[in-house]
Amino acid sequence: MRLIKRYFLLVSILLYMAVQSFAADPQQRFPKPEFDTGYIQPDTKAPSARMIFLEYFDVLVLLVVLSLVTWFVLKKRSRKGVFWISVFTLLYFGFYREGCICSIGAIQNVVLGIVDPTYAIPLTALLFFLIPLVFTLFFGRTFCAGACPLGAIQDIVVLKPIELPKWIQKVLGLIPYLYLGLSVLYVATKSEFIICRYDPFVGLFRFDAPFNMLILGALFLAVGVFVARPYCRFFCPYGVLLGWMSKFSSKHMTITPSACIQCKLCANSCPFGAIDEPVVETGKRRSNVNRLMTYFVLLPLWVGIGGFAGSMMHVPLSRFNQTVYLAEQIVEHPEVKNDPKNIDVRTFMGSGKSTEQLVVEADAIRNQFYWGGWLLGGFMGLVIGTSLIGLSKFRKREDWEPNRTNCLSCARCMDYCPVKKE
Amino acid sequence: MDKIKLAQQVAWIAAGFALVLAILLIINYVQTSFNDPIENQTIPALVKRLSENPGDEALKAEIRAFDLMARKAYFTSQWQLRTGTYLMFLGVIISILAVRFVLSAKSKLNEIDSVEKVSELDKLVAQKWVIYVGSVLIVLALAAGLLSSNSLEKYMVNENLVVQEEQPAEIAVAENAEPAVAPEDSSVTTVDVQVAEIPVTTDVPVTNIETVAAPAPAGIPTLAQLKANYPFFRGAEGIGVAAQKNTPTDWNGAGGKNVIWKVKVPKSGYSSPIIWGNQLFVTGADAQVRMVYCYDKNTGKLLWEASADNIQGSPASAPKVTADTGLAAPTMATDGRAVFAIFGTGDVIALDMSGKRLWARNLGVPDNHYGHSSSLIIYKDKLLIQYDTNRSGKLLALATQTGATVWETVRASKVSWSSPILVNTGSRMELILTTNPNVNSYNPETGKELWNIACLSGEVGPSAGYADGMVFAANEYAKLVGIKIGATTEIVWEADEYLPEVSSPLAVNGLLYIATTYGVFTCLDAKTGEKHWEQEYGDAFYSSPIYADGKVYITDMSGKTHIVKATKDYQLIGTPELGEKSVCSPVFADGKVYLRGMNNLYCLGAK
Repeated sequence: MRLIKRYFLLVSILLYMAVQSFAADPQQRFPKPEFDTGYIQPDTKAPSARMIFLEYFDVLVLLVVLSLVTWFVLKKRSRKGVFWISVFTLLYFGFYREGCICSIGAIQNVVLGIVDPTYAIPLTALLFFLIPLVFTLFFGRTFCAGACPLGAIQDIVVLKPIELPKWIQKVLGLIPYLYLGLSVLYVATKSEFIICRYDPFVGLFRFDAPFNMLILGALFLAVGVFVARPYCRFFCPYGVLLGWMSKFSSKHMTITPSACIQCKLCANSCPFGAIDEPVVETGKRRSNVNRLMTYFVLLPLWVGIGGFAGSMMHVPLSRFNQTVYLAEQIVEHPEVKNDPKNIDVRTFMGSGKSTEQLVVEADAIRNQFYWGGWLLGGFMGLVIGTSLIGLSKFRKREDWEPNRTNCLSCARCMDYCPVKKE
Repeated sequence: MDKIKLAQQVAWIAAGFALVLAILLIINYVQTSFNDPIENQTIPALVKRLSENPGDEALKAEIRAFDLMARKAYFTSQWQLRTGTYLMFLGVIISILAVRFVLSAKSKLNEIDSVEKVSELDKLVAQKWVIYVGSVLIVLALAAGLLSSNSLEKYMVNENLVVQEEQPAEIAVAENAEPAVAPEDSSVTTVDVQVAEIPVTTDVPVTNIETVAAPAPAGIPTLAQLKANYPFFRGAEGIGVAAQKNTPTDWNGAGGKNVIWKVKVPKSGYSSPIIWGNQLFVTGADAQVRMVYCYDKNTGKLLWEASADNIQGSPASAPKVTADTGLAAPTMATDGRAVFAIFGTGDVIALDMSGKRLWARNLGVPDNHYGHSSSLIIYKDKLLIQYDTNRSGKLLALATQTGATVWETVRASKVSWSSPILVNTGSRMELILTTNPNVNSYNPETGKELWNIACLSGEVGPSAGYADGMVFAANEYAKLVGIKIGATTEIVWEADEYLPEVSSPLAVNGLLYIATTYGVFTCLDAKTGEKHWEQEYGDAFYSSPIYADGKVYITDMSGKTHIVKATKDYQLIGTPELGEKSVCSPVFADGKVYLRGMNNLYCLGAK
């Protein structure tokens, strides 16, 4: 009965948050009548900016949430605690704050702050970017466990998880690097904040998004019932940075609170495939070493070819930049200049700027994409090369251990460990 | 155990409920996409019908009712989508919570469905797949790069060529003051060369221009001579006032009534004819050639034709222009010694009266999304060119004899399609231009700006009108202004009821005529802007109204010329028809009217 009451309470809270979201419906768009009706159209009003102290309050909430999750993971070793904190995160950062501000998107603010001296990065965005990284450097990815609303919404729907073969995990695991590289490239060229634009869950948090985005969010959740946290594992660009930090974390969670008794009970407990099994070297050592050396030698080749391929992509990649797109539209289809419905072209025509100026501007941006393409391709080559090295390296392991890069510190595996804290 | 069963049932029911709603929402979405009220064609069709019959109250009511219905349908659909989404989410949440409750209540550790693992083998397979996928990514990137064409780079290359072509032409002309004379004219096809004599009629009323302006150099025609002929777009001053008398009012192009001659112009163009002596000139062009045609104005015989080719800096391929502008929209100009033409390629050509090329040059391909259409006008020995493009705005004076740039004034203007007018204000000659956002006046001798008033916006097509010390400027979606010029220049009245899009205002006898693209022709008081009358003829007006012999001629796009008495009361004299569409303005000479249709050129009048 207590359990039912608790769930009833949760439903009530979710409904309340949803109703709060509905109140902020976007203004409906519909063309004005063509004839005079006597009705006075109200002025369009822009919502006022969020008060600054509330922004810092968000930072405070993040700090508290992160601390609590870390405490639940490392000290209390409580999955329940982590779960309920993630529910709070979903309600606060998800439905109440409507998915913004978030640490994942803050990557873009930071990159823009670096490349554009005229852009003053908001302190809150910088803190949202840095605080989880610092926590991860010490305690592992506790942010993913319970302080990320995108992770929380996916975690709630993990009902019937299946394990993916290693090769699929490895191949799909390349996507976050590509996504990170692309998002940095598009910000560095001042083209687009693609992480925010293609955030699959923000539409659900706001109950308002283009239909395609809602479908994408729903698909992620549907897949997430079986493939746990697909966005976190195979898309999240911030996860790449957190993984790097977590690899060096000094106080990462452990499956067992003391000595592992090799009971293997935790072997199938992780829905994210983030538990490394004990390893003993098999096969011929010489061939293993040879393979590893080959991968080391090939690494610069991967980087070089990747860079070249990336630079070749600069034309199609740059088409997502609005200036380049507009210039191409006007150059390839000059008749769009007469299209009264093409708002972008109308705005350009009204700006007094000449087509030549626009093309020169677009060409300069495309040139940025050329060099950005080299960097992105080189980075992806490096990722592929190092993945291969990682896969052929041998490191003796005797216990069942969380993989520090991929472990999301959700604390599920702890419940399976029969060893209790001494 | 019962609780678990109950929770399982709740989970299933909630999941089913959410699924049904999801399907309904998708159906609703698809339905809404196919019936987007913004794209609905019914209301525009009704509105079009209303524009044909503005007084139809029943139709207005029908439109309102339909509009209201479309809005109701739209907002109902929105409400359904919103409510359905909320309910679906509720279903999903309940279902998830019920499942979680079941899992918790069973107190069973939730093991994942594992796959068989062999650590070393798995690693080898993973390595292979990483290599495959990495290679595929690289191949895809290379293919995408190779298959995508960089249209901007091509444009830059072309533009650079244009820039290179443009600059030497101007610098060479300016510095050396050498005529940009074309090589021996091989392109002139002499049909039957007749060098026209310049008739100097003495019975034409002469205004005080000679007394004000400096004496004209030898060979430069006087205003009287200009008025005796029809040398520019909209007459001798470019303001739409013709000095000719006994102008005809009755013809029928299709039936042959009062058609003295009719010839097919080989290449199409929207330039109006100009006349000097017995010669009539028009231009025509297509993507391949740009032509000047000279006809005998009395017989319609093609005297000669000349091609504007082999011009240094002329683009290899014609710029993209719209069909309703083309490459031969600007009307030519003549001073009786030579004729001058400009084309949408930026080519300017000067020919003597026998068709022999005097000089030719390219001004740089105009960056104009419809096509260049500003007509030429001549002041003394200067050919004046309004050259407002998307790239820059400028006013040029070329020496009529050599083509050398005499002066060039950079204008703070956007691209425009209007033409200059050249008027004597009583104290000085002023060259008046309209553009976005200004009406500018320049000294035609020096190119120095005399005054400007910012009052226009949008894509300015109509040229200025002028009469009795007042300039009139207008553009659709902007306004119509009456500007008093003198010691101070100021807007004395504004109106916005009827605004032209292409046709230029005509001011005469204290009256101001405006012709719109929605088929309304209106007469206002030039001093106050008060409306005297309006007539809705139905067909759009692209041509400009011309005053001749106490009458105003305005030709609509269907080819009907509406002739009204130039009085403040509406008195229709006649509506003769050309028999084909026309966007050109009528031209007068010797008791005849010359009209260019889409295909043919007509000489109309009593035979």
